[in-house]
Amino acid sequence: MASFVPTSEETLEDLRRYTEDRLVDVACLDCLARVRVKKNSEHQTSVQWSAEARSACQEFVRRDQRPGGRDVHKPCTRLMASIDDAVRAGAVSVGAYDGY
Amino acid sequence: MSDTRLLDQGTQPIRFARGWHCLGLASDFADGKPHAIHGFGTKLVVWQGASGELNVLDGYCRHMGGDLTQGEVKGDNIACPFHDWRWGGDGKCKEIPYARRVPLRARTQRYETVVRNGQLLIWHDPEGSAADHDILPPELPDVMTDRYTPWSWNTREINGSHCRELIDNVADMAHFYYVHFAFPTSFRNIFDGHTATQFMESKGRPDTMGGGYGDENSTLKSVATYYGPSYMINWLEVDYKGFITEVILINCHIPTGPDSFLLQYGITVKKPEGLDEKACAYIAERYTESFGDGFLQDVAIWENKVAVQNPLLCEEDGPVYQLRRWYEQFYVDVADIAPEMTDRFEFEVDTTKANEYWHAEVAENLAKRAAAEAAAPADA
Repeated sequence: MASFVPTSEETLEDLRRYTEDRLVDVACLDCLARVRVKKNSEHQTSVQWSAEARSACQEFVRRDQRPGGRDVHKPCTRLMASIDDAVRAGAVSVGAYDGY
Repeated sequence: MSDTRLLDQGTQPIRFARGWHCLGLASDFADGKPHAIHGFGTKLVVWQGASGELNVLDGYCRHMGGDLTQGEVKGDNIACPFHDWRWGGDGKCKEIPYARRVPLRARTQRYETVVRNGQLLIWHDPEGSAADHDILPPELPDVMTDRYTPWSWNTREINGSHCRELIDNVADMAHFYYVHFAFPTSFRNIFDGHTATQFMESKGRPDTMGGGYGDENSTLKSVATYYGPSYMINWLEVDYKGFITEVILINCHIPTGPDSFLLQYGITVKKPEGLDEKACAYIAERYTESFGDGFLQDVAIWENKVAVQNPLLCEEDGPVYQLRRWYEQFYVDVADIAPEMTDRFEFEVDTTKANEYWHAEVAENLAKRAAAEAAAPADA
């Protein structure tokens, strides 16, 4: 391999644990985007997008058309509100497990 | 069966990243002389031809390996000091003064160039693809006009570390307290396509000597985006005792070998209204010095640490695995880029607990210092 790809089994397991564990589906209340979310605490949030979700987000579509593009590096406020709703509804549990 | 956790130091990649790399300020190459830049495991020659174009080729002549960086610019071409073979910016040999004709296969490695924001960028791809102009770093409005101070540009060779160490900082919240002496009060990351961004707000620690991020009188709002594997634009808003300055910091590097790279950083400051040129230049110098110090703080860590393929994380840490997954896209063939390497990922670090502990520690340090000062003899 021409890359950093981990070779040890344990490291591959760490990679899976840190990037995939405990992600929960959350649908945006305003568009067709569906993302995967994890919350280790009230203030910590991970949001994993897919290419489909990224292109479904109307906020990002609008921002992509603007010149400059620094906006694109901010979260979508509608999706963040949808995540807050999902947390309040108990669909996303809040809490970490041993650092992840 | 042992519970001891082992450090997986991994293996270093056998190639250099695909993407745009900055070689330095374009004006530094524009003197009609050949310049040597070490990069990508070789030496490159950079020169400006008579028509004004900046050109970059592999530094060694394909004839007998002469060092083109010690040659001479003749017209638009670079002439080898060994046998005067003349190479054009398109990579073709244009003339061999003593030969009836130039061999058809006389083509060397060339790099496509772009001048952006006053800097010379080249496209590097081990697969040899054409340069992708859609993923160039953005143009910075008003920079290079009289509204900003001229680029203050610095370089530093780093040996014994792969440039991924530098990239890891994007996701590293806690090192800002320990290495750069600042409280990171807000910290977020967004990785999306070929960009990786860090949003940070920080305040200097009052118990340290200051410098860089650590001046207790300044708070910082920072947005730093990597455009590809090696070129970061950092927009900084520094609030020093209520006086706000906008600073743009470029942090870029060229890999030179399997565990070495050339770090380059440049600073430009938006001239505050009502200040004369001298005062603006002074402010720019101060920021250049303090952010330069910041890099040196990192370098001291890099030069002594080992590579870690399997970092062990706590809840307050940033998304280093996701960041490295993003970085991986530049080290595989384009055909092998997996969706998760480029899919958008957002992460907000919870800095509340960390800052509680840090403020307690700083308060303790200040109390100790006050006690030591009180205990010192008054007539000393």
